[in-house]
Amino acid sequence: MNAPFSPYLTGMAPGLKQLISLLREQYDYVSVLATDSTGFQTSISQKAKSVSRETLTTERGAVVRVYRNGLYSEAAFTGFSPDRVRETFEKISRELEEQFSLLEAAGIKPYETAALPDGERTIFAEMETERLPEAENLAGLVARLSEISDLGMKKGADMGIQMIDCQARASSTHVCKMFLTEKQDLRQSYTYSEGMIAALVTDGERTEMSYTALSGRCGPELFDGMAEKLPEALRIAKDLLAAEHVVPGEYDVITSPEVTGLIAHEAFGHGVEMDMFVKGRALGADYIGKRVGSDRVTMHEGALCAVDVTSYAFDDEGIPAGDVTEIENGILRTGICDALSALRLGVQPTGNGKRESFSHKAYTRMTNTVFDSGNSTLEEMIASIQKGYLLEGMQSGMEDPKHWGIQCILDRGYEIIDGKLTGKIVSPLVMTGYVPDLLGSVSMVSRDREVFGSGYCGKGHKEWVKVADGGPYLKAKVRLG
Amino acid sequence: MAENQALNRLLNILKTSGADAWEVTDVQEKGWEFYLIRHALDQNRVKELESFRVKVYRKFDDCLGSAGAPVPADADEAEMKRIAAGLYQDAAYVRNPFYTLNKPEAENGAEAAESEHVDLKAISGDFLATISGLPETDTEDLNSCEIFVSELRKRYINSEGIDVTVTYPSSMVEAVVNARKDGREIELYRMYDCGTCDREQLTRDLAETMRYGRDRLTTEPTPALEKADLILSTDAACAVYEYFIDHLSSGMVYRGISDWKTGDTVAPAEMKLQTAAFLPNSSENGAYDSEGARIRDLTLIDGGKAVRYWGSRQFSQYLGLEDSFIASNFVVSGGSASAEELRQGDWLEVVEFSDFQVDDVTGDIAGEIRLAYLHRDGKTVPVSGGSVSGNMNELVKGMRFSAERRQYDTLLIPAVTRLDGVTVTGAV
Repeated sequence: MNAPFSPYLTGMAPGLKQLISLLREQYDYVSVLATDSTGFQTSISQKAKSVSRETLTTERGAVVRVYRNGLYSEAAFTGFSPDRVRETFEKISRELEEQFSLLEAAGIKPYETAALPDGERTIFAEMETERLPEAENLAGLVARLSEISDLGMKKGADMGIQMIDCQARASSTHVCKMFLTEKQDLRQSYTYSEGMIAALVTDGERTEMSYTALSGRCGPELFDGMAEKLPEALRIAKDLLAAEHVVPGEYDVITSPEVTGLIAHEAFGHGVEMDMFVKGRALGADYIGKRVGSDRVTMHEGALCAVDVTSYAFDDEGIPAGDVTEIENGILRTGICDALSALRLGVQPTGNGKRESFSHKAYTRMTNTVFDSGNSTLEEMIASIQKGYLLEGMQSGMEDPKHWGIQCILDRGYEIIDGKLTGKIVSPLVMTGYVPDLLGSVSMVSRDREVFGSGYCGKGHKEWVKVADGGPYLKAKVRLG
Repeated sequence: MAENQALNRLLNILKTSGADAWEVTDVQEKGWEFYLIRHALDQNRVKELESFRVKVYRKFDDCLGSAGAPVPADADEAEMKRIAAGLYQDAAYVRNPFYTLNKPEAENGAEAAESEHVDLKAISGDFLATISGLPETDTEDLNSCEIFVSELRKRYINSEGIDVTVTYPSSMVEAVVNARKDGREIELYRMYDCGTCDREQLTRDLAETMRYGRDRLTTEPTPALEKADLILSTDAACAVYEYFIDHLSSGMVYRGISDWKTGDTVAPAEMKLQTAAFLPNSSENGAYDSEGARIRDLTLIDGGKAVRYWGSRQFSQYLGLEDSFIASNFVVSGGSASAEELRQGDWLEVVEFSDFQVDDVTGDIAGEIRLAYLHRDGKTVPVSGGSVSGNMNELVKGMRFSAERRQYDTLLIPAVTRLDGVTVTGAV
């Protein structure tokens, strides 16, 4: 089946188009993004159970973008009624005029930008899903998650692990967004889901938490196979309890697809968000066409380059989804760009203008950020290392586009000596380095690749949006602490 | 208080929904935002938002089922009824040990609304003037800035008779500053949460950031020190004190993530940790928490020993606490040494991390060094690169902190914190 577009938004469309007409009398460009996204989240553990019809992306509201005299302004609101269009129009005008008067008094001038083009465009995308979050049998799902939690406790104990708790969590969202201008009418509806199993364990002295996750641009059918993830969560928990601290230093490593994805995201994901080019905050602007990695490094970004949690039909500024080759055989080709930054830089937008919610500003943001596959096998890669680690599990990362530093906090390193895994584990790991050095050291790339969509991404320390990233196994040289 | 027809409609539906208990929070936010590139206006934004958050409860013998949902402010009666009916059904699926909702302090339940007048235009003007007046030079200046000013109004109503409203200002400034020398430019990032604009403090902090910027241009790679005594004197220290705060939250204790028990020694002997009902210019100065409980001053750690837990009604009751609340502001005190006394001998003072973290589960600390001052053998060298790591369970034994304090939004903590024996991975 296809995820049906929101009847609520369909009902609001005529009124919002009237609002656009009224605002066009005062402004040179007007657009509206309206959202009506629903979903659920449920978490089951031995200690606490919860269910909510809310996820981090459920929302209902609208944001108007207007343009005049080189300046873009926005007004976000809830409670729009087609019966009170003029009232909404007058309120928006009044509030923005108040701001303009303050800005004039403060002597603050606009960062002059051209008007967005408004060509004819229509998109109506209802993407495929097996089931809908709003129609899901939550009683059945809660029962399945309870079974996973109970089974985790039992199997963990059978493995000799002192279990504190085992949590199973599922969330599913039905996203509906509508973008309107005088000439554009874009509507999309899709579902995405995320599941997670976490094991909280102890050995009496230290406490550790392991997790495994799954995600997809799909409905709650994702959770049908969730129990299969349990053995991995328990295996990781046991590994963490046995882990030692790493001796700080530089090592040959193999990054698992999840860690590869984190590197993609932090290294040249944030590094080529082109709103940072406008502000002079990204070194990447000076390196287009130049080498930033080894020949084996090719990287794509875009809602179309994988199917996962953020694979939409158009972005929050009404730009169709894209697939950009950011790095090709080690050469930085281009970045990703929101609509306003594209105007300022004289380039084409790439469909990467995203908002945390309708009430937040749009920035250049990542969607799927993925390294391309190579031609090695994991076995060959392990065999090639004399002393190093196979790195698995990500905790967090931090971008540094201005200086190309990289910080990734990783879960586990599995020691490799003379081409063989020794069984020794180190945790946690702080992987740091200089991005071109790290990518320049990539010497082997595996044939397979995986994409992970269970994480969120912030811009600085705010503006959280869904992203997915991944790739194959990479062999590289990094600093671990 | 103006009549809110949608809220009244929702309350009537909940009262006849069959639920054994319920709670509603009406959240209203008016916001003004300004985005600057250098000192030019990238974009200005206004927002006016309202939504209801509803939770319904059902009793099942010695268990309590519950389910929550947002209700759009423009939902009609049919949609509200559909959501309420769905929640009534959902609440049967997840059953936790029984607990009760908060009850009103006053007999009639309708407690005095606590309102603070919020003038968005005036507060915005103060921030814009402060940013315009920063002490920039030819070599250190503002790259970009985002200013968020909002008025938050939260009304909490529950089936037990509580009806309380809090209104307060909440602001945030994100600032990026540049420093340059000999054709090389670096940036430093700052994010400030606060109530309204404290012009003096914001100017002082950003001037300090520009000074750090100058020093970052002259750094050497951090040497491989293996172990060093770490001094934290910026907002990174918040993560250290949040470790103590989180470990005493009833949710963390009940779930087994924290094994701290009252009476245990959990912190340096001189540490006192308290909740604060009000902290000047905090962005979270509401008098009531999100469950309608009055927020009070309360001691959590005294003399390094855990005194009591804090947190949500549910988990606090499970631990035997009837009068708990979800605190927003915290104060750490008790340091006997001065900042100057702590800065003795050899130490590494990190003033810029990529992202300094303390893991609540394991106690592991980690952060990449963007700028630090290495004090060794009487000399001071700015360094960058590499990382620090360690574990709070060990580091707390050698932890010292200053008598002087510094406020970071909701936290008033020692201005200088020293952790001995941290692992330092060098940049080379």
